[in-house]
Amino acid sequence: MLSAIRNSLKVSINNIVRTFQTTTPVATEKFDHKRIPADDEGVQGEKIIDLDSVLKAKQELFPTAESDNLLFDGTPYKDLSVCNIRVSHNNTIFTMTDAAGVVKLIRSCGMEGFKNTKKGTNIAAQTTAINLATKAVDRGIRTIRVRVRGLGPGRLSAIKGLQMGGLQIVSVTDNTRVSWNPPRPRKAKRL
Amino acid sequence: MFLTLKLLANRHPSFIARTVFVKNNNVDDACRLVNRILGKEGILEQYRLTRYYEKPFQTRRRVNHEKCKAIYNEDMERKIQFVLRKNRHEPFPGCH
Repeated sequence: MLSAIRNSLKVSINNIVRTFQTTTPVATEKFDHKRIPADDEGVQGEKIIDLDSVLKAKQELFPTAESDNLLFDGTPYKDLSVCNIRVSHNNTIFTMTDAAGVVKLIRSCGMEGFKNTKKGTNIAAQTTAINLATKAVDRGIRTIRVRVRGLGPGRLSAIKGLQMGGLQIVSVTDNTRVSWNPPRPRKAKRL
Repeated sequence: MFLTLKLLANRHPSFIARTVFVKNNNVDDACRLVNRILGKEGILEQYRLTRYYEKPFQTRRRVNHEKCKAIYNEDMERKIQFVLRKNRHEPFPGCH
């Protein structure tokens, strides 16, 4: 009997004292399943854009079976003269050949009057390229293909210089010699 | 026909492999594309590595370092994706 009263008292007291109430946080926004995109399974689509897809879109950027006979300035692609550029750390050498590989013009940064370390700069490469291009234009070469070998400071500026000298560049080819099982290279430099 | 002959004669036929046509006289773009392809294919890296002889201890150290870096990058990428995730059930959890 007593305990029953006590219990009722407790309940009443509890009710009186706890005037404020705590509630669990309620998410006001309803969950919309449509807003969450489906799991991506690595299929190429909107989210994944890689180099390959970019390249696929621009098909005509790369040579195909038919490109050998494409006409540039009235000449088929395979008969255009070639400008071989040998780029190294210390020098840049230009060789202008016809389609068969017969050398027509040869020019290097050293021949141009740059000496020692100045040979290996991009400015030297550019001026040499401009001079070579003007000489080539004098000989009647207007449209060329460019083949670059090696990495160095003159790599980009050489090609740009050829264009600035008045030659029309049809294509750029990289011909850097790289081997995956080379003979033993030279000893590493000591620092 | 010409192409197949060229491909048979040489594994890297010039003016077929690593070649980009210049569009609208935009040489810069073509060069950049060539460089990007070379970089993606690992040709530039191989060129750089084979300039000078790499001693076996250096190879070991380089490979180990690459492994560590790959693991770190993977985890960090996952972390960043977690923080940047969108379309959350509660857009700002804990803010009411």
